Amino acid sequence: MCGIVGYLDKTGSENQPIGKILLGMLEALASRGPDSAGVALFGIPRLNQLIARVKLGNNGDGAQRVLDVKTAAQKFGAQELAQKGDYLRFTFEENGDLKPFLSDIESVAPDVEVVSVGRRLEIVKQVGSPSRLEQSFGISGFLGGHGIGHTRLSTESVVDLSHSQPFWGHGYPDLAIAHNGHITNYHQLRRRYQEHGVRFYTENDSEVVAIFLADKLRQGFPLRAALESMIAELDGSFSCLVATDSALAFVKDPFSFKPLLYTETASFVAIATEEIAIRSAIPGDYTVREAQAKEVQVWQR
Amino acid sequence: MAEVDAAGHITREINAAIRQLIAEGSTDITVLNPGARHNLAVAILDGVRIRIAGSAGYYCGGLGDGASIEIEGSAGWGLAESMLSGTIRVHGNAGSGAAAALRNGTIVVHGDAAARLGVSMKGGEVIVAGNCGYMAGFMAQKGTLIVCGDAGEAFADSMYATVCYVGGKIANLGTDAVLSPMDPGERERLEATLNSYLPAALRRTKPAAADFKKVVAGRKLWNFDKREWRIWQEAV
Repeated sequence: MCGIVGYLDKTGSENQPIGKILLGMLEALASRGPDSAGVALFGIPRLNQLIARVKLGNNGDGAQRVLDVKTAAQKFGAQELAQKGDYLRFTFEENGDLKPFLSDIESVAPDVEVVSVGRRLEIVKQVGSPSRLEQSFGISGFLGGHGIGHTRLSTESVVDLSHSQPFWGHGYPDLAIAHNGHITNYHQLRRRYQEHGVRFYTENDSEVVAIFLADKLRQGFPLRAALESMIAELDGSFSCLVATDSALAFVKDPFSFKPLLYTETASFVAIATEEIAIRSAIPGDYTVREAQAKEVQVWQR
Repeated sequence: MAEVDAAGHITREINAAIRQLIAEGSTDITVLNPGARHNLAVAILDGVRIRIAGSAGYYCGGLGDGASIEIEGSAGWGLAESMLSGTIRVHGNAGSGAAAALRNGTIVVHGDAAARLGVSMKGGEVIVAGNCGYMAGFMAQKGTLIVCGDAGEAFADSMYATVCYVGGKIANLGTDAVLSPMDPGERERLEATLNSYLPAALRRTKPAAADFKKVVAGRKLWNFDKREWRIWQEAV
């Protein structure tokens, strides 16, 4: 099962209640997967600054752990440090290569993980239902231009924060994915990336989608071409939503195994696993259609 | 005309309310605020009219026997699955698996249908004004499948005796699906069927019956023959 949702504002506004819209959509799909829930929200872009969200690990309640991560972050000029739940959120100066930053923060402890980095992107996810996500983080107050969300029914890997979705394209700023399906050549792909030194944080096959797309975009593929290459190189079932700082997109596998519906009007694009999610979160008169096998759509902001 | 307001009710209550109205003698029922909810109007065994004032979710009208259902929005997965008789008309698009295992009756979709349209249908008529997706008609056994627009990949794969007509392009034919010339009088019958269920104003694509391609089973998979090993390798 699993439910995925996406929303993009087409009016150019950066102050849309996307947190509220995505939450409304996710709550309508909660019965498709109550194990964990998450959103990747794209807010007002920072100028030469990145926003980091770090999983503190150790359930985020060890004072020493918080201090250690803060100390590591301060080497990179971290500002606006704030701890909420299992996360430490802060901003820092954009300085080209993210590798030293990621390696320093994540070397604090094995269960410390940088969950997202971007000028706009913030990934918030945890174990439990979409309603619980709202209780913990108040995501309905988040304003921005677009975003994606996921509610998970775990089938093959453990249920914890790191295994929740959306996944960040680890190391590639402002890239997030939400995937419904199974990648059946996951182990083969994973080994290939590991041989090139890529670290995997989970046993979740959806993580490889984020790694795959980050790799393609780094190689200079346009987003649409990167998504088309998924159809050729990934096996199994995937209805997959992808968001970057300036786009919302989806790709569907060649057999159309998993549902995915979308609507586009003059002012917005909404995508969800079931139409019920779009109807319950967004009033108005619009037509919804199911995506076809191998369909790729990219909407630029 | 009787009404059921779906807002704030669980599916079981909505369907119970429809049945209650039928038991009380209503023959024309409108479901308001359907909100793309699943399993609306399933297993209705009476010849009543039901109007869904919006979109329906999964399995709308499934297992029905005789009702005439009009969906004013789109329909989700498994529209009219295993329906025994009756008519379902969708003003919008239909999700995957529409008319799967249909036994009889008529399904009309004004928009597009997604993957696996009419798979394993055992009778009845399915008429789509727009396009259909991947693997429509797979293992279909009887009945008629009409697509006025384009058909997706693996069209009419491994079929038995269903007859398909496609007005637009066919991405590719499935295993053992073959194009067939129309019999004398067949075009006229197709035209009559289209006119009665889908007046020209509702056909988004131009084809008249004369432009339709007919697709049937090549019958190579009906009986095993080791001289035709190659086609079996492809099919299995």
